[in-house]
Order: sequence, then C-alpha cells, then structure tokens
Amino acid sequence: MKPKVAFFDFAGCEGDQLQIANLEEEILDLLGQVEVVSFREVMKEHSDDYHIAFIEGSCTRQQDEERLKQIRKNASVVVAIGSCATIGGINSLKNYQNLDTVKKIVYGENASLFDTYLARPIDAVIPVDAYVHGCPMTKEEFLHVVKSLLLGKKPEIPNYPVCVECKKNENVCAFERGEFCIGPVTRAGCNSCCVNEGTKCWGCRGMVDNPNENSQKEVLIKYGLSVDDAIGKFKLYFGWEKKK
Amino acid sequence: MDDDKKMHIISKDTFAEFINNLIADNSLNVVGVKSKGEKFAFGPLESANQLRLDYDVTLLPPKKYFLPQYEERVTYDVATGFKAKDPKESKSNVIIGVHPYDIMALLHMDEIFRETKSDPYYLERRNSSIIIGTNIQKMSEQCFAPSMGCATIDYGYDLMLTDLGEKYAIDVGSHKGADLLNKYAKDVKKAFARDIHAVGKKKMDIVNMTKQKFNFSSELIPEMIGRFYEKDSFWKDHSEECLSCGSCVLVCPTCYCFDIQDIPDLSLKKGQRLRTWDGCLLEDFAKVASGENFRDTKANRYRHRYFKKGKYLFNRFGFVSCVGCGRCSSNCLPDIANPVNLFNDMYAESLKSGIEIDSATVPDISIKTGTIIEFAPKLATIVKKVPMTANETMFELKLDDETDLGHQPGQFVQVSVFGVGEAPFGVSSSPTKKGTFELCIRKLGNVTSKMHTLKEGDKVGIRGPLGKGFDAEFLKGKDLLFVAGGLGIVPLRSLFNYVLANRKDYGRVILLYGCKEPRELLFGDEILGLEDRDDVEFMSTVDWCPEEEVWTSNVGVITTLIPKVDFDPQKTYAVVVGPPIMYKFVIKDLKSRNVPDDHIIVSLERRMKCGVGKCGHCQINQLYVCKDGPVFNYSDIKGVPEAL
Amino acid sequence: MTTNKNLEVNVHHVTRVEGHGNIYVNVKNGIIEKCEWAIPEAPRFFEAMVVGREWNELHHITSRICGICSIGHTLASLKATEAAMGISISDQDLKLRKIALHAENLQSHILHVGFLVLPDLMGVGSVIPLASSNPDEVKIVLGLHRLANDMSNLICGRTTHPQRLIPGGFSKIPSIKQLLTLRDNLQASVPALQAVADLLKSLAPKIPDFTRETEFIALSNPDEYALYDGKIASTDTDSAPVKDYLSYTKKLGS
Repeated sequence: MKPKVAFFDFAGCEGDQLQIANLEEEILDLLGQVEVVSFREVMKEHSDDYHIAFIEGSCTRQQDEERLKQIRKNASVVVAIGSCATIGGINSLKNYQNLDTVKKIVYGENASLFDTYLARPIDAVIPVDAYVHGCPMTKEEFLHVVKSLLLGKKPEIPNYPVCVECKKNENVCAFERGEFCIGPVTRAGCNSCCVNEGTKCWGCRGMVDNPNENSQKEVLIKYGLSVDDAIGKFKLYFGWEKKK
Repeated sequence: MDDDKKMHIISKDTFAEFINNLIADNSLNVVGVKSKGEKFAFGPLESANQLRLDYDVTLLPPKKYFLPQYEERVTYDVATGFKAKDPKESKSNVIIGVHPYDIMALLHMDEIFRETKSDPYYLERRNSSIIIGTNIQKMSEQCFAPSMGCATIDYGYDLMLTDLGEKYAIDVGSHKGADLLNKYAKDVKKAFARDIHAVGKKKMDIVNMTKQKFNFSSELIPEMIGRFYEKDSFWKDHSEECLSCGSCVLVCPTCYCFDIQDIPDLSLKKGQRLRTWDGCLLEDFAKVASGENFRDTKANRYRHRYFKKGKYLFNRFGFVSCVGCGRCSSNCLPDIANPVNLFNDMYAESLKSGIEIDSATVPDISIKTGTIIEFAPKLATIVKKVPMTANETMFELKLDDETDLGHQPGQFVQVSVFGVGEAPFGVSSSPTKKGTFELCIRKLGNVTSKMHTLKEGDKVGIRGPLGKGFDAEFLKGKDLLFVAGGLGIVPLRSLFNYVLANRKDYGRVILLYGCKEPRELLFGDEILGLEDRDDVEFMSTVDWCPEEEVWTSNVGVITTLIPKVDFDPQKTYAVVVGPPIMYKFVIKDLKSRNVPDDHIIVSLERRMKCGVGKCGHCQINQLYVCKDGPVFNYSDIKGVPEAL
Repeated sequence: MTTNKNLEVNVHHVTRVEGHGNIYVNVKNGIIEKCEWAIPEAPRFFEAMVVGREWNELHHITSRICGICSIGHTLASLKATEAAMGISISDQDLKLRKIALHAENLQSHILHVGFLVLPDLMGVGSVIPLASSNPDEVKIVLGLHRLANDMSNLICGRTTHPQRLIPGGFSKIPSIKQLLTLRDNLQASVPALQAVADLLKSLAPKIPDFTRETEFIALSNPDEYALYDGKIASTDTDSAPVKDYLSYTKKLGS
C-alpha cells in the first residue's frame, strides 16, 4: 500500500515545489511509490488523509501557525523542504530590522493592513521529522529523503561543511578567486553547486551542528572584508538560527 | 633504442607527438596536468599542448585515479543479493606529470592497501596504470618535500621527465615505460654524459626551491610527537581556529579514509554501495549510533591527524606518512595546517621545557600480506527472531550457501540491510553451534531499527567473520572470570558457551553479569539455567530495581560483585566486556586484586565501516578495532590513550 | 440584462496556478454583494530586505521572489544594479541573457500548459491520472520540460535561483560545443512542440469563450520579441521608458 503524501506551502517562492516538477520522467517512478492526495499547485483534489506532509516556506504570520498545527495533526511524518521551511531562509533577513519600519517601507500608509512577525522555520512552530535543506532544495536530496522515509530509516544528511564537496569536486577555492564564501560553516549536501558554477557559497543550507563561526569570521576579515560585512554574511540565511 | 641505458633524450616536438599518439589510442585513458583557473589539476588530455609540466602543485593529488572520490563497488538486488563489481579496468590510465612527492605517496598507499587484507580495486588500478613523472620545475610556497626526502625519486615511475630547455631527459623506470616509448615515440636518443650531468644538477637545485624547512632533523618526528600526546594545551591552541572542514585531509596524497553509503534506487529493490572519501578531521567521523563521539573535540581530531601521519603509520610501516607536498597547508583557510610550523613549534617547546629528543625511533615492523578483501556480502536468512527485551531482539541466521559461519568466539560480522546500510555486530553464539549463528541486536539507529522490523524468512547480507576474537585455545586449563556489563553479555556469550561446550578443558568458570535494571536482562532463560549447574559459579546484579519490577539478587553496579568472588589472580584470566565507562572501574578493581595486566582480556567497539582495517573509522590511536581487535589483551592497550 | 440569480462562489486556494489566491463571489437576487480576489499569501517584504545589503548581493536576494521566474527577477535586478553602478556587459553576455529568458519561458510555459491547464481541458483534476490514461502525451511534455531545464542549467547554472547570473555578466559560460549540442536538441524538439500545440488546438473548443475589456501592458521592442530590453507599451496609452514603470503600476502603498 503506497503511503499518502501531501504538499503545502507557506511564505516562500514555490521553487522547492518546482524541483519536484523538475524530476521530469522520475515523477512517474515516484508516483509508483507514493499516492499524492494534495498538492495545490498541481492538482484540484484535496484530502486531509495523508501520512507524509511536505511543507515549503517559512511561517511569517501568527495566523499561519494554526494551519501548520493542523497539518502536524494530520500527518505522521512532516518534512520541511527548502531553506525557508528548514531554517527560515532569505525571509529571515527582515528579522534584523524593526518590523513596523519594514512594513512602512513596502506599503507606506497601508502598512497596518498587513500582518507579519519574525520569519521562522516551521520547526519553530511544530515538530519536524526530516529536512531537505537548500535554496532551492536539489531533487537528488529530495529523493534521498523520500527513499529513506519509504525504507523506514532516518535520512542521513551531512554534518560537515561544503568545503568537503568543493574539495571532492576539485574546485579552485572561492577565496582564491577573491570571493567571500561561507562554505566553511555551511552544511554540505548540495555538492557545492554554487562554487561549481563559478560563484561562492551563500549559506543557504544553514550551518553545521557546531560551526566555528569565529574562525569563519576571521578568515573573511583576513581576506579583506570589514568586520561589519563579515558579520553581515551570517545574516543572509542564518538569521533565525543565530537568534534562537 | 637501447633500453639497457636507462636515460634517453627526446626533443620537445617529438615529445608532443609521443603524447598525441598516446591520446589517439582509445584503449588508453590519458590524463595529465592542465591549468584550472589560476591553479592546476590532473585531467583528461585532448592534445599535448594542454600539458603544463611547469606546474607547482595540483589541486588534488593523482590518488583520485586510484581511490576515486566516489566509487561503486557493490550493487544489490533484493531478489538476488549482493554483487561485487569486477575490479578489472577497461582502460589503462596513463598519468602524465606526476611529481616525485606524489609518486612517493602512491608507494605509501601501495603498502597500506596491500597489508593484511588487500584491496583488489586499488591494486588493479595501480597495476594497470602507467606513471610518467616529471621533476619539479616550480615549487609551491608551502611545499616542503625536500625535508621529507621526496623532492626527487629514483623509483616508482615508468618514465621520469626532466626539462632540459629544448629537450626532455627521460629516465626509464620499468619495462612498461620502455615499451611505451618503443610503441608511441620515435627519434628517442640515448642520453650523453652531459645530459646526465644536467639532470643531476637540476635535481640538486630542487631542494633549494623552498624556504619551508624543519629546524631539526625530520627523523626525530615520531619520537618527538610521542612526547606531546598529553600536552592538551598545545593541541588546543593549534586547533582553536579549526573549521572541521576536512580540507587538509581531502587534498592529502597519503590520506585514504573512506565512508560507505548504501544508495537505493526509486524502486527500493535495487541499489548500490558507494565508497567515498571521508576524513578524520570531520566532526562525526568517530560518532556511533548511540550518539557517543569517540573523538569529539577539534583538538583531539587535529592531534589524531598528526599522530597518524607522524607516528602510527611510522610504527606500522616504517615511514612518516607525509611527502611534504604542502597541499594541506595551502588549502587551510585559517592557516593552521602547515606541518612545518606545527613541528617547528613542537621542537621549540621541547627545547623550552627541556625535553630531550636526541634519538630517532626505529620501529619493529612485520608487514603481512594476505587475503583479498571480499566486498560483497553473502546472503543469510533469518530463521528465528526472538524479542528479549523492549529494545533487544535475538536473530538466528543461516547462510544461504548452507555453510557454517566458521567464526572464533569474539569475532563480529557486518550485517547489511537492503537499502539501509551495514553495521557490525558481535556474534553471540558459540562456534560449536553448527548450521546457524546468533546475533543480539539493540534498536538504536537506522540499520538496527530496520532490522527489528524484519521477519523470519527475510534476508540480510553478511560479511565475515571479521576481527580478532578470543583465544579459546590459550585459555584452556585456566580459571575464567567472565565480567559482563549490559550489552557486553552478547559477544561474551560466544566464548562462554564455547567454554561450557568444552567444559572439561577449563578450570573454574565464574560469570558476573550486571545490567541497569531487571527488565534489561538478556538471555534470561539461559541465565536461569546456569543456577542449576554446579560447574559454573554465577552472580548477577542490577544497578537499581524500579518498584514495579522484582529482583531478589544483588543490587549495585557490577563492581559490587567482584569482592564477593574468591579467585587466585595467578591462575585466573578475566574476560571483561561492557560499555566504555565500565572498563575503567572493573579493571581498577581487578588490579587491586593483583590480577596481572596480561590476564585481563577486553572487547572494544568503535564506529566501523569497512571492517577490514582500511577506512580509518574504528582507529584508536594506532590500532584498528576491526582488525587488531575487537578483542584486546589489556597489557597491549593500557598504554593506548584512546582505548579505555 | 437583469437577473434574480443567487450565486455563491468560494474558491479557497485556487489550484493549478503559480501563486496564491482565494475567490469569493456572492450574488443575491441579481445584486453583487461581494466580489473578492484575496491574496492569502504572507508578504515577505523584499523591498525592505535588500536595504543595507551590498550591491553584489541584491540579485541573489531578489531571485528568491519567485522560484519559477527566478531568471527574470534576477536579470531585472542585475539591470538595475548595473545601471546604478555604471557596469556594462559584453555583447556575448547580452545574447546569453536573452537565451536564458527564452529558456525560462519555455520551462514555465510547458509547465503551465502541460501540468496546469491540460488537466482542466481533459476533464481531470491533475496531470497524475493523465500519466496512466495518456502516457505518450505526458512523456512528451516531461521531455520538453527536461529540455527547457537543461537549457537553463547550461546557461544559468539552474532554473531556480540561477547562480551564473552575476553583475557584469556570467560567472561561468557554456562551451561552444555545449551550445551547438543545445541547438541540435532544440531543433530536434520541434516535432514534440508541434505535438503539444496540436493537442491544445484539438482541445481549444473546451476553453471558455470569455473576453472582457482589459488594458494589456508588456515590454515592447521593434527589433525583437522583447524579453530583456524595450519600452513599456500599453494597449491603452503611450509607451514609456522602463525607468518610468511606476506610472504604469498601481500598488497599495506606492
């Protein structure tokens, strides 16, 4: 009997759900293993009877907590997909500013029409069983997590920095190319995809369990960044992780 | 061409033709040093003009051709079991531009992968590859190969090139090299004396290309580092900035630790077992399913790397396993990985604290070569499954090929659960029990949890028996004091039941068994049966007894039983197996009863992956738990700091 | 025309669209009491998020506005940054950026047509049952979607949050060989594209016959199909340069 799965999204860009569509022909293989009972972007039907819930996007309003709690009640397994859901993502950039100011900048006099609070990953609201990190997540890691869950095992995700994958891929280190990379504190699992494409790691997968933040900061400064800018690198994606 | 004379001369144009001829041969995989951005890397050559023999150092050493970053070695199909990939290589690698220090590193790896149990994949690639080395023209700033004796090398290559301006000198190192020149090159001339002089002069100049030097004689390293094991502040200070990023070990030509992952495909019925690079500097390298991490600080991990290179491998093989390429140093972002700086600091501190290091150690080496490693597990069927406690279940297994496991008491097997992974378990039954063998498994991580969901009739993969077990022969005639703590009863039982099956060969048999609380007692029925025997003295204890449980025997930790037993320390051998915390206290009590060190036998556990002493995960200092153990004599490990 | 009709339409979370919306219509005795298009999506405040960040980070942040049209958002941001900083890009980079936008459109349109609209026209709730009832058509759609993604991957690194698009051009460019292979693949896909077009044409009668007076606004360029450069053109008013975009948009609060 195929387990029933459902997909939900909150405050995000829908990019992680798109990666599922990007499975292309493998979608058919996946459908051989699971039964999709709810996926707003792709299907009309909806059912509250699901075993595994995949959730994309952060929780950025008080009123969204209720929907999250309901999903948690319905599902035996909750999987956070994409950085917004797993660590707060780019949404957490606004957490460093005064939220009233933020609303005013965007909506001027109509600011009061819009609700918001500190952007947070969904595990700040409900317990989460598995994580697919990344902005966006990779379809490979998504499948890895799904296969693990189907086999009844806790998905193994790396607890080492992106440097490991960069070295395996024989990349010229981003620092050698004049870039300010925070791969050394960022959780691997993306196969160093951004450095492979000639840029650097921005930290979208969140930090490893015990990052040596101080050392990373010192490295950034040694290579020419000001102290403020070095600290600023940690704010792009680690906003919620660092504040909690 | 006369290949009795080993040095030849070839013009640069003719050399380019030679390379292009090699590239044109489709049975060869021709790779060489090319530029990569501002750096260099070995990669496939499409034409000779891509070759950059004037490079200083490549990003990754040529080890990637012998121990690839990712390698499928075994595939599985739930219907048919596990199959090992054929080690035969379809194409021979021709690797062009290898510097002497990287050639030396390969020679190190050869001994490591051949010793005791040989890795057929590595060896096949080495045998079928052709190494065309080149003498160093430019040295990177961090290179200290001259200090390690690796600036030049007279062995280990098929051909060695030296740039003499308009031409190359080619040193032929093997028949393979001579044949290669014969087949693909023309106009290769004999070298004259002046050419040989020129090459000699170039080689001499190479040692002066670097400023990186030790302030002492590098042969003192093993002796000196040995004095620094306990100097925690030294290691802590040097590793404070460590990012645990693994860069130093991943780019190192003599590092070879690896991880093994099982990757199912979407059908969940088939998959592969992948071998990939790992590193002891990474945080979870020595972490087991229970969450315990046997090397949990940056300082411990950082220290381990230097000890492995500078002492453990030296003691095992006679070489300091570093060739001075400088890659670790140049790839370390916080710049804490330069061995020259570290050892110079160490030497300075030795002088300051008056530590005398005036002699180099000479290790006592005996390298055994032996069997080829079997990577593909055999299939076994679960014939009986008996839950014993809430978390532990006994599995009785029978190999599908109907053979006996043939283990010694104390050995272990690696159990593969399709698609989930592989984990080591001590065999719990005595080898006198024929036809099947028993494992007692606690539900903790992925493999064990999945195992608990399997039913009688389901199949798993088995590799083994592995490791060094108890020497039941040697123990004949002795009095035996078995001390089992918690799950330690599981492997201990294999020896205990063996002794009972050959009771008359042994003296007194005393079993002390302790667990946390009554409901965690394992093998309850068998244990009860012991009470009826008058040739076995048995005592049990629990740490505490909760209200709702019944317990009429001793309450207290296992050491509370030891004073209740009378034994002759000279005639008695203690076999102790239990959780890490237990050893310290039990051994202390035994020592206070005058039990000699070599009368105490223990069984240790660590994180294991390959089970055959290659991947590095189970290392305690210089020992491999999977190969030198898991059974150890206390006298052999009491000086090993990471052991107990 | 008057009517005494009663009507209640309550669509909670419109399905099979990119983006979110609720529709609520309440008609009593022919009188519209309520007609609402509500956006339940939580605002993320990108315009405030970028305040204080460095010029070379903005494209990375704004790309996250949308996962499907990331390339468009990234390029719009890069154009703004490059204009502000006086950075010019090469002709080659301009061409590559335009190809990137075509790749994005191809992917998005295939997704829209094949996954989101086709089920409606074929009377099913999603593409999932079509995988069993019309496997050949679904395979063609999947193959085209794959091609569009391969194209994005080659030019930009990936479709969603394209890494290669940076201020001043590209962090990495494809080789000539790779581009030629892409061209061959695109040319070879024309029959498949034709098949999808034919399928749609055959289902066209099912599309509701509904039009209403609407002002359409788009980028317009006399020399090419405008995706990257052009003026803002309108069906109702005169065109205007892009920097005057605010005069064409009306948003709460601006």
